[in-house]
Amino acid sequence: MRPVSLVAASLFCPAGIGANGLGPAAPGPVPGFAPHAHGVPRKHLKTMTRAVQLGCAAVYAALEDWPTWRMVPAERRGLYVGASPQQGDAEDIEPALQAAGTPFTLGGFAERGVPMIPPLWLVKGLSNNILGYSSAQFDFQGDNGNWCDGGHGGSVALTNAVHAVAEGRVDLAVAGGADALVGAEALFGAPCAEGAAFLVLVAGEVGKTRVTAGLPTVEGAERDLGELGAAGVPIAIARQWLAGLLEVRAGGIHLFRD
Amino acid sequence: MRDVVITAVGLRCAAGSTPGLPDRSWGRPDPDGASLGVPLVARVDGVGEHVDFPDDRKGALAWAAAADAMVGAPAGGRRGVWLGTGLSSLTPDELVRDLYPHLRDGRFDRKALARDLDPDHPAPRRHLPERVTQVIAAAYGAHVAETSFSACAAAAMSIAEAARAVARGDVDMALAGGHDAMIHPIGLLSFVVLGALSTTVARPFDRRRDGFLIGEGAAVLRLEAESDARARGAPILARWLGAGTSVDAHNVTAPHPDGHGAALAMTRALRDAGLTPADVDYVNAHGTGTPVGDRAESLAIRRVLGDVPVSSFKGAVGHTVAAAGAVELALCLACFRDGLLPGTVGLEEPDPECPANVLVANVAKRPRVILSNSFGFGGQNCAVVIGAP
Repeated sequence: MRPVSLVAASLFCPAGIGANGLGPAAPGPVPGFAPHAHGVPRKHLKTMTRAVQLGCAAVYAALEDWPTWRMVPAERRGLYVGASPQQGDAEDIEPALQAAGTPFTLGGFAERGVPMIPPLWLVKGLSNNILGYSSAQFDFQGDNGNWCDGGHGGSVALTNAVHAVAEGRVDLAVAGGADALVGAEALFGAPCAEGAAFLVLVAGEVGKTRVTAGLPTVEGAERDLGELGAAGVPIAIARQWLAGLLEVRAGGIHLFRD
Repeated sequence: MRDVVITAVGLRCAAGSTPGLPDRSWGRPDPDGASLGVPLVARVDGVGEHVDFPDDRKGALAWAAAADAMVGAPAGGRRGVWLGTGLSSLTPDELVRDLYPHLRDGRFDRKALARDLDPDHPAPRRHLPERVTQVIAAAYGAHVAETSFSACAAAAMSIAEAARAVARGDVDMALAGGHDAMIHPIGLLSFVVLGALSTTVARPFDRRRDGFLIGEGAAVLRLEAESDARARGAPILARWLGAGTSVDAHNVTAPHPDGHGAALAMTRALRDAGLTPADVDYVNAHGTGTPVGDRAESLAIRRVLGDVPVSSFKGAVGHTVAAAGAVELALCLACFRDGLLPGTVGLEEPDPECPANVLVANVAKRPRVILSNSFGFGGQNCAVVIGAP
């Protein structure tokens, strides 16, 4: 097994973006987030949900924080994402439902509504869109994965990324999560938020922060920001990284505040 | 790292509830499909309901497959569940009940929609992809539960992660596979608007191919360390040899035209297995029957594996979407069992633009090593390699 080092991180959370996201904040949207200003190609915006825009921006920001990534061959770069599935935006099928008429019938929907549905309606809702768009944008061709495990999704992505680097499947891994849950309070029974954070992990002893394969989760942390879904754990780690609070100890990163 | 073996399988697909081989009778007309102009679907008969998965057909399929895979499992030990799944597209009932009432003057009243969604109602919970994994993990005392959402590569990705966890010793036993069920009007609609479904019948690698046959199903494999399985005399269905993944890094919906990502995945799988191309006896292709996808995959297979025999199960069992990698790997176990390389149902006129050695008819030969491909929207690719027991 090879040593794995954490060398960079990005942060988009209700408190702000990057170093501006370290303070307290009420649950809600990411202030000042403009996708195209954060590296997301304009041509893709219409086929991206809010969570995908946040995730792609966070991948971009993480790589900007460690420009050396370009030295790693494309086939040795891995992307590991925790993200929730997005139902195709309801707004995209509004005209089709309207055209179906009243009372609603599947027959009317099929005859008059279906032709009005955008072809990429399904694709827009795929959970692995962050991985798909970002891998194309930054030419990541290596080992990869995308997980939907609710609040654990980001943690699963990080854990599997550490394994991939340690076991030699990739030399560089960008791993984290994104979610946009504002408006879903009824489902979660709690204040909801949006955000994304990605970490850059590399093989070898680079810098000061080592990561072990059994990357721990950050339980109970960052709850003040609201329900962040798959982004919760990556945001918690990124906030501590950016604040200089991560410590190197035997056994890997120490993530908990003592 | 420990050697890993497959010791049991649970399968629910149009081929039946136990490992079987393709047969031309599996694709048939379906009234749901007909309402959207989809002539054929590959539906699974006899799907029971489960109390934890009301109105969730893929959950019921996965539950049944997992139960089969647990028959004869050793008691105790550290267990994990890795399942791949896909978009639980809105059902017609949900469309009518949850969405349509909130349409006002052509726009959705999202606040009213959110307010009226009852967290205790099965519909919202049905749309949580991790729920099936968690229910099965809880039922069998698993301390690891991971849900891959990698489009049509999801199940293969899950099985690969599970095998690595068993090899590392993170768990003693893994249940790994995938499930999906999109045979209802709204699920079909997703593919209709993409133009991905065949308007006739699925014909993988055929000159006249025009899309895929939608299927549904679930398969769950039980993976264990070979030393553990042999120590208790457990039946071994196959040896796990390796896996490789890649991303096309090309386009979210279209494969790399030369099959670059597919070739990378297959090459990595061979390297992981410690094999050469000449060691592979048969390739279970992703082979959906789409014009672009089949050509790209066949180019990649030819480039990496040469003249190896290839076929696709999707003309027979349909494209089971996120479950495909597991359903088809389960069917590959039958190839070991029966000593048969299956022909491709629906293939009559092999397309010269698809240069792989695609089998039209069954070939009686007992394979030693099988490579199975799964490729998904988003450009995710996964190839897995298994060996005869």
